[in-house]
Amino acid sequence: MAWNIPELITGAIVPLLAVFAFTLPLLAKVFGEKKFPGIWALIASIVAAIMSTYIFAVVWRTGKDIVYGFGGWPPPIGISYEVDPFNALIAVFTAWIMVLISIYSLWYNRHFDEPEWYYILLIGLEAGMLGCLYTGDAFNLFVMIEVLGISAYALVAYHKHRGEAVEAAIKYGIIGATATTLYFIGLVIIYGVYGTLNMGQLSLLNTEIYYQRPDLIASMGVATLLAVSLALWVFTYKSALFPNHFWLPDAHPEAPTPVSAALSGLVVNIGVYAVARFMYTIFGPASTIAPYYRDAVLTALFVMGFVGAFVGAIMMMAQKDLKRLLAYSTVSHTGLLYMALAVGMSGVPQAAVALGLAAMTYHVLTHGLGKALLFMSSGVFIDSAGTRDLDGLAGVGRRYPLVSASFIIGFLSLMGLLPLGGFFSKLMLYQAFMEAGMLVPALAVIVVSAISVLGYAKAMYSVVFATPTKEHHEIKLYGIHYMLALMAVGLILLGVLYPWISQGLIHVANSSLIGYGVREYQDAFVKAFHALLGR
Amino acid sequence: MITLSEYFMTILITCMIVNLGLALYGVFFKPNLIKKIIALTILGDTANTFALIIGYRMWVAGVPSRPPVFTEWRSNNPLLLLVFTKTAVDPLPQALVLTAIVIGLAVTLFLVFLTLQAWKIYRSVDMRDIKRLKG
Repeated sequence: MAWNIPELITGAIVPLLAVFAFTLPLLAKVFGEKKFPGIWALIASIVAAIMSTYIFAVVWRTGKDIVYGFGGWPPPIGISYEVDPFNALIAVFTAWIMVLISIYSLWYNRHFDEPEWYYILLIGLEAGMLGCLYTGDAFNLFVMIEVLGISAYALVAYHKHRGEAVEAAIKYGIIGATATTLYFIGLVIIYGVYGTLNMGQLSLLNTEIYYQRPDLIASMGVATLLAVSLALWVFTYKSALFPNHFWLPDAHPEAPTPVSAALSGLVVNIGVYAVARFMYTIFGPASTIAPYYRDAVLTALFVMGFVGAFVGAIMMMAQKDLKRLLAYSTVSHTGLLYMALAVGMSGVPQAAVALGLAAMTYHVLTHGLGKALLFMSSGVFIDSAGTRDLDGLAGVGRRYPLVSASFIIGFLSLMGLLPLGGFFSKLMLYQAFMEAGMLVPALAVIVVSAISVLGYAKAMYSVVFATPTKEHHEIKLYGIHYMLALMAVGLILLGVLYPWISQGLIHVANSSLIGYGVREYQDAFVKAFHALLGR
Repeated sequence: MITLSEYFMTILITCMIVNLGLALYGVFFKPNLIKKIIALTILGDTANTFALIIGYRMWVAGVPSRPPVFTEWRSNNPLLLLVFTKTAVDPLPQALVLTAIVIGLAVTLFLVFLTLQAWKIYRSVDMRDIKRLKG
């Protein structure tokens, strides 16, 4: 059997991260150095980032999806990973942001009394996220969501002697576990209806039934709709879509700052990705739930996103806690992401759908980078002032000019100011809604941005421009401000390179989620099936 | 006139639906954390039972189901294989259930640990006493 390097790397990345995670406690005992677990986690995240970059480069260059069947079993029988440009891109983004978060965690290390447990969970979180992205099997997605979930619950409860942290983790954990169990029920229904859980095969079956056996649609549609509705709960819960956002504003203030950055910047995207995968690749416009049920589901997602965008923007104004303010900003931006995701209803021209999905991906990138930057820089300020309260933080930014500059650039990007990434992703959202003939959401993007300016301006003003009311304690930065500045430059680049990025993202959307992209996904599955059977 | 197996199957399915409702009610509306966790395990067990029922071959009338173990593979007789695939229980839902049970164990253990921690801090496992966060 010939070794296929891209396939092997696709299969190796998540198990390798698990090895990194579970050798950590032993090695930490051997080396006994307090910095060691952080360095180990940094190595793990860099290895994962390089591997995911390689996977993305291969998928992008060849234009073919990578399918890896675990244990040599062909896809519908064994578990398989399937990588197309869409999940490869989000995985590269996730892995590199995790590198930054690991570096930041090293700086944050003095808050951890037992760093090895923190870093195991951090690597576990990354393994869960990459597994969720790369997997081509709906049941494996369930397993990976649990890996991601349990790491996230435990990271939120990391400061376990603080009552609020434990309470936030309980809230997040119990409802999260319930949602995941309901997803399992949904999977069982899908298995009962289709007889498979492989995403490629489900997609293929849907297309075949839609075009060749329209008589089956009526009987399969209702059960599939039930399964999809059960499945979507856990995805929207993980991505904090209104009304499932309640855990996020509680979890953020209590979690360690790098974890807040990961939860808001990255975990949210996993839910969005999974919904896109379900609603476009698997149960796309040609499936048993099309067109009425699918439109109903997308409309529901759209309405929740719409309400969430407004609720997040309005709640932001009332917050006194900097991290809670950022958390509500995440709720608002998740709402925008879901509004963009819901653009693919029946009757919308395919170009508009591609534009909407590209805009969604763009917004995932700009929001994820911006929010990670904001949480990390606010961590510097919070440490310095010793409080999360906006009044207590007054003027603390004056001590750290470079961090403050990055902080402001992050806010301006989320707000949507001209040369920054946030402006162009919002512009693209607006264009997509206009192309799709949806006037109200197009205007909503503008109105939501305008409302959220008030909340952002309050945070910026009190942290950077307000007169200091007390003497803040000076903390050593150890070069972390250069990393934050680098992220701010990244946000500017995301904006300046708009013409190329938007073209690339439209290509990603076209070659993964709609039209021939879905066919390629199915073909890759069929080819892997035959190759592994030796035919 | 219903047969005995149909009768038991009806009871099983009815219990499952009732359990599902009770478990969701317990998770959302019981203030006691331990009761919430118990409701969660009931929900998990209900889901697992549901998976097993989906894999069970109840649609082959008059043929008793068999465990999914093919013992006659030496004889090389395709007819035996055909009979096996017609009567054997589907093993995949059982594999799913095994995985789900293991995951459920880990999640339950973690939640129980959190509850213990909440007890240490608040001396209570009642969500009404614990509520400090606004949500």
